[in-house]
Order: sequence, then structure tokens, then C-alpha cells
Amino acid sequence: MNPWLAGVLALVGIGLPVAVWIGSRGDPVDRLVGLELAGVVAALALLAFAQAVAQPSYLIVPTIAVVLSFAGSLLFARLLAPRS
Amino acid sequence: MSALHLAAVACFGVGVGVVVLTALASLRVRRAADRLHFLTPATALGAPLVGLGLVLENGWSLTSAQIAGTCGLIMITGPVLTSAALRLAAQREGTVPQESPE
Repeated sequence: MNPWLAGVLALVGIGLPVAVWIGSRGDPVDRLVGLELAGVVAALALLAFAQAVAQPSYLIVPTIAVVLSFAGSLLFARLLAPRS
Repeated sequence: MSALHLAAVACFGVGVGVVVLTALASLRVRRAADRLHFLTPATALGAPLVGLGLVLENGWSLTSAQIAGTCGLIMITGPVLTSAALRLAAQREGTVPQESPE
């Protein structure tokens, strides 16, 4: 096992379950925090995975994931705002 | 095993450690606003360290440029998402007007 794969395992095995746990409990703002954390952890895990398997073409996946995660989280923040 | 490889692995390991520890630390607090404070080290410190480690390993190449760009995106979008979520939490708690900042 190379160090990059060990990093992927740490991120996916510890960081992502924690983010999913936060994102599946509590009120909507708590869930939004979990979603944001999951986006960051998943993007970094995908970056490290591309390095672990020596496939630079896989790097487009985390790049797009960061952009989509940003747009999706902002959309949730907008839709969850209380309406007067 | 060169010194550059060791430096790359060290940066990568510290970055992954920061992200994992902040995720675990965010479990210890209850309020969303407090949890958001733990998201900041992951985006402002963990992501650049992971990116630096990968860039050091790959050297000057298009691969490194894409890794740096992706980590830069995480660093730029992180504070924006944090402030949006904090504003939402404040609106729901009633500490700022609901129509703010419109």
C-alpha cells in the first residue's frame, strides 16, 4: 500500500462517515454543515486516489466535484432560508 | 527514496490528518455555528497541505497545475460556504433579519 492510498483510506474510512453522520442528523443547518464537510473530504479523497492509482486523467472528477459541491451547497443555503 | 518524496508524503500526511481530526472534532460540538469553525481548518489548511504534497510528488507538470487549481478552488469556496451557512444559522436563530442582506 502506497502512502496516497493510505490517505484515501483515512479520508474515506474516517472523514467521510463522520460527514455523513453529521449530515444525516439534527436540523437542516446541521445537515448543511455535514454536506459541506463531505464535499471537501470527498474531493481530497478523489485527488489522492488519482495519485494512488497513477491516473492523472481521473483528476477531472474532483475538480468538477468541487464546483458542483459549491453550487449545490449554496443552493441548499438559499432554499433553507426562512421565508417572511 | 528522495528527500522530495519524503517531504511530499509528510505534507500529504499532515493534510489528511488535519482533515480527519477536524471532522472528528466537529462531532464534539452541538451547534451548527461551532461545527462550521471546524470546517475552516479543513479547507484553509488541510486542502493546501494535501495539494502541496501531491504537487511536490508530481513536479512541474500539467497534473500539478490541475491539483493546485482544484485545491485553490477548495480554498476559495470554503469561506464562502462557511459564511453562507453561518448566515443561514443566524437567520434561523433570529439574530439577523430574515431579509438580510437583501
